Amino acid sequence: MARCMIAAAICAAALCLGAAAAQADWRETPAIRALYDKAKAEGEVVIWGPVQTEVDWIQGELAKRFPGITVKATGDLQAATKLIAEARANRHSVDLWQNSLGGMLEVQKRGLFAKVDWPSYGLDAGRLLFDGEGLAVHNFVYTTAYAKSFVTPAELPRTWNDLLDPKWKGRMVSEDFLFPRLMGFLALEWGEERTEKWGRAMLDAQKLLVVNSPRESFLKTGERVLAVGDSVNQTFQYSDNGVPTGYTVLDLVPAVQFTVAVMKDAPHPNAARLLAAWLATDEGLAVREKLVHGFSIRPGSTSALADDIRRAGAKVILEDLSTMAQRAAYYKKFSALARGQ
Amino acid sequence: MSGAALSRLPRPRFGGAERSARGDIGLAGRSVMALAVAAAFALILAPLGMLLTAAFRGPQDLLPFEDGAHWTLDNLAAVYLDANLYRAVIPNTLVFTAGSVALTFAVAFTLAWLVERTDLPLRDAVYTIVLFPLLVPGIVFSITWIFLLAPNTGWINVALRAVLGRGGEGPLDVFSMGGMILVQGLGLVPFVFLLLTAALRAMNPSFEEASSVSGASPLKTFLRVTLPVLRPGLLAPLILATLVTLEQFEIPLVIGVPARINVFSTRIFFELNPDTDLPAYGRAAAVALPFLAAGILLLIAYNALIRRADRFVTVTGKGFRPARFDLGRWRAPALVFVALYATFAALLPAVVLLWASLFGYANPGLAALSAASVAGYRGLLANAAFWLAIRNTFVVAAGSALVVTAIALVLAWIIQRSRMRGRAIVDLVSFLSLGVPTVIAGLAWMLLFLSAPIGIYGTVAALLLAYCYRMAVATRLTRAALIQIHVELEEASAVAGGAWLTTLRRVVLPLLRPSLVASFVLLFIVGFREFTLPMILHSPDNVVLSVMMWKAFQSGRTMEAAAIGTIIVLLAVPVIFAVRNVVLRRDNQG
Repeated sequence: MARCMIAAAICAAALCLGAAAAQADWRETPAIRALYDKAKAEGEVVIWGPVQTEVDWIQGELAKRFPGITVKATGDLQAATKLIAEARANRHSVDLWQNSLGGMLEVQKRGLFAKVDWPSYGLDAGRLLFDGEGLAVHNFVYTTAYAKSFVTPAELPRTWNDLLDPKWKGRMVSEDFLFPRLMGFLALEWGEERTEKWGRAMLDAQKLLVVNSPRESFLKTGERVLAVGDSVNQTFQYSDNGVPTGYTVLDLVPAVQFTVAVMKDAPHPNAARLLAAWLATDEGLAVREKLVHGFSIRPGSTSALADDIRRAGAKVILEDLSTMAQRAAYYKKFSALARGQ
Repeated sequence: MSGAALSRLPRPRFGGAERSARGDIGLAGRSVMALAVAAAFALILAPLGMLLTAAFRGPQDLLPFEDGAHWTLDNLAAVYLDANLYRAVIPNTLVFTAGSVALTFAVAFTLAWLVERTDLPLRDAVYTIVLFPLLVPGIVFSITWIFLLAPNTGWINVALRAVLGRGGEGPLDVFSMGGMILVQGLGLVPFVFLLLTAALRAMNPSFEEASSVSGASPLKTFLRVTLPVLRPGLLAPLILATLVTLEQFEIPLVIGVPARINVFSTRIFFELNPDTDLPAYGRAAAVALPFLAAGILLLIAYNALIRRADRFVTVTGKGFRPARFDLGRWRAPALVFVALYATFAALLPAVVLLWASLFGYANPGLAALSAASVAGYRGLLANAAFWLAIRNTFVVAAGSALVVTAIALVLAWIIQRSRMRGRAIVDLVSFLSLGVPTVIAGLAWMLLFLSAPIGIYGTVAALLLAYCYRMAVATRLTRAALIQIHVELEEASAVAGGAWLTTLRRVVLPLLRPSLVASFVLLFIVGFREFTLPMILHSPDNVVLSVMMWKAFQSGRTMEAAAIGTIIVLLAVPVIFAVRNVVLRRDNQG
């Protein structure tokens, strides 16, 4: 056993060293060096994301690797409207935008993203989205978070159906935006009828409290002990805020795909390409995972969460464009259910 | 004694003529009026126009201004052919609004009367404490009440179960219509209190004294004298509180959504945060149209009820010093009432805010004290953006409050005193600003600034202008106060040779000071905590504290968000206190 562990540790170290070397190599490739020179001349890059935390960490990390480029990062949930309005007025203040795949659709449909030959910058074709207009970065992974102060690991549910156990009645909370989306993903696997039945049972029989406020306070006080449909990275955030929270890997693992795209009329196009490319590299993904727990669980991912999921034998339901319309129809319907409309 | 008997003086009005009993308006006066009207129209009609346009533009997957968008009734059909609107949303909204406004008025009037008309001790401190909830972000106020009344672990419920010797959950549940009314009702008290104190302060108590001398009981005096005389001063806050409650969405979202109780404002929120696609501005605007209709109806009712404005005149050429009722044996109950309000509406939210800024979500207790951290504050103080945000917040909040109060003064005078053609339209337009949801106003300003050739987009000036669209409160408040002031005072100034501007500056302005200060303070506080407009219009250069707080909150940086909230309170309280003291000192000197 000890030998196995030593061997595993050696392998992991070798992989890390290999990855670090590979990243250093990536930065030294002629294409990236040339891009960096041009980006440095631009001196600045403006990135928007849905929330501030998801973009705040970038400045420090980019500066370590590509000094001389200032990152202006803004979190804005209504960025789509602004990007469309700015483009229409021919004013362009944003270089690249990071959001969920679905959240970017309306802007992409309007042709506001630049199409970039990402493989020429050494990026794997498997990370390309929107036919080269976007790059896959991390995932928003749905889970059932639990308050460590009130629930032991042995008590935890193993499947989404386990949440219908009477022992959880009156002890669960969810969010009005996330719960219908979670149901939308589950419906892809279960079908609409079964999912609706499950959702109604959660709301009516299990008295799931669907809120529009932070779930941390509910978990902290024990008002509720499970947060259904929160994301894995939120559990780390809750713990950082003084609410010891864990996550579960249930039988199905729905995951939203976060994407980064360079704007067609970016004021700093080279800096934008450089940053987007770096964010999508293994190193960019690893740094994000370490700093803000933004895990990638795409096929082939080596993140800690991807390993957990593989070990649990859970099935990942990854957001993709082919199921977008179906899911949208589902969660429109389930939203009305959750909100009592 | 009825209000009608109070004054039967003739009411000459300014006509198109240059001269009147109240002096020569003159070119300067006309210019000031024209400027105020033009500014008001420009500031209000942009958002109002966007609301009316967006409601009739579609399809939903296009923004109202985009190529391909066309005129349509689809938004109206989607909203008003939905059975749920009539089955749940409208009944819920009516119950919620009526309940909240009734509770607000009962508490706010009592507090205002105690502060302005009685010998209650510590009145200045009470004044500031009452305003406190207005400074606390709505979300914090709501979460405080969840801490108190959550069915399983709410402090009050835990205490009640211990007293009643029962287990399980409850007996109270904040996630209910009653909970919504309680939290909204208490949350709106400062707003109405501020408006009522101005009216009570301007009221000449000699009428009440005369009633008492004539042998009327205090209740009879209150019902037959105080209430009729205060009618404009009561109606204005009543109408404004009704419209604000209709538009307010923080408490219905935090308290109502878990109870699955939908009202108009949550419907607007959900349209703007749709399940798919872009925000449905068209549908949100369509949902907001009844706000406008309600605004128009309430304005008509208001104007009808105060048609004989001279019945409400209380300030005439005869000087008066407001006398105060001796509370006597009612002093202790009055203090208990104030203390209860202060505890639940001010102290507990303040403690929650401060606690969260130092301890995050740690449970209250001695054990947590060792874990206190000032990291939230330290991070802020070291952040250059924070200092920029403080400067911007003061500039925008104070600047917009000043501009709006000044414009409102002129508008109120035009509406109440002049015979200017179209003054009814000025009245209507200024009032309707309250019926425009902030997010729609933000969209209108964004489009305007983006297309303006003056490069104002993303600047502090853009925010300052955008905040100024909220004209209704200041205009209504100033007009209500103007009704209480007899025209003879202005006539006396005119007879003495004072031009209109001089009369306005030296006679009207000092007499309206309580109302104008109330208006300024209210707008200043609203500007200080406003986050919807700056979220839409923000850039790295015009960031304000509320946006920083909201972003920290959204990002899960609870301690930082709470630290900013605490700083907002700490910065705003001295301003309120100082302004109040300046007013009191001047009044006492007068």
